[in-house]
Amino acid sequence: MAATTTEVVRLDETFAALASSTRRALLARLAQGPATVNELAEPFDLGLPAISKHVKVLERAGLVRRGRHAQFRPCELDPAPLRQVSAWTDRQRATWEASFDRMDRHIAALQANKERDPR
Amino acid sequence: MNHPTDTGDGTDTTDAVVIERTLDAPIDLVWRMWTDGPEFARWYGPPGASIPIADIDARVGGRRRVCMEITTSDGPLRMWFGGEHRTVDAPTLLVYSEQITDEHGAPTPDGHLTEVRVELSAVDDGTHMVMTHVGIPSDSPGATGWTMAFDKLTAALASGRDPS
Repeated sequence: MAATTTEVVRLDETFAALASSTRRALLARLAQGPATVNELAEPFDLGLPAISKHVKVLERAGLVRRGRHAQFRPCELDPAPLRQVSAWTDRQRATWEASFDRMDRHIAALQANKERDPR
Repeated sequence: MNHPTDTGDGTDTTDAVVIERTLDAPIDLVWRMWTDGPEFARWYGPPGASIPIADIDARVGGRRRVCMEITTSDGPLRMWFGGEHRTVDAPTLLVYSEQITDEHGAPTPDGHLTEVRVELSAVDDGTHMVMTHVGIPSDSPGATGWTMAFDKLTAALASGRDPS
């Protein structure tokens, strides 16, 4: 329920970036540690340009940071957007649980009134 | 955080929030809690929030329009949620979409579309309720599958490879 617009935009970008098995594989590799685009491309049949493109999508979504060493520019995983995805579900869960507590109390009050004042 | 749930119609809800409750009330009353605007307004929302407006047209294709007001130090903050009923099988199954809208009910351009599914069944001591809130619409590309990799990733991160 409650979420700011920027958070929502960010979530959509994260979801879109994750909607590719190649990009998920790249992230899984980067979860093990930083790697250059060349290293990332090794296990794939895809060429370097295709891998670079995928890395750029991940970069735009904030899931990957590029190093500043001009020559190699290793890629590094940035887990912040992933944490936001899990924060979304955590927040929804907490809100629903609190709402259902209120529903419980509201129902109890309705039932009590009905017993006192049967129509 | 994610537990795959088979909703029976092939929808993958690995990215969903699933909450089960048994309520001390007959099933028709619990159904009304979801489908009657004034009743819905009595319980919906996080602590401290109030629901000044809840227009609920509980028919397939009928709209939901809910305003939530949260008191902040800068005064009251109003948020609007809109959606459409997808399944209305009284009193056992209610499915509706939900997204953030403006006050006229128009989705904001970036409105993250979600789906709420409520399953009710009468049990000895009241009504059993299963609420499933799916964060990614089930028809979006990549709604299925990505969460598996995501879980692996978060596990990897939890095991100490946190670059930040």
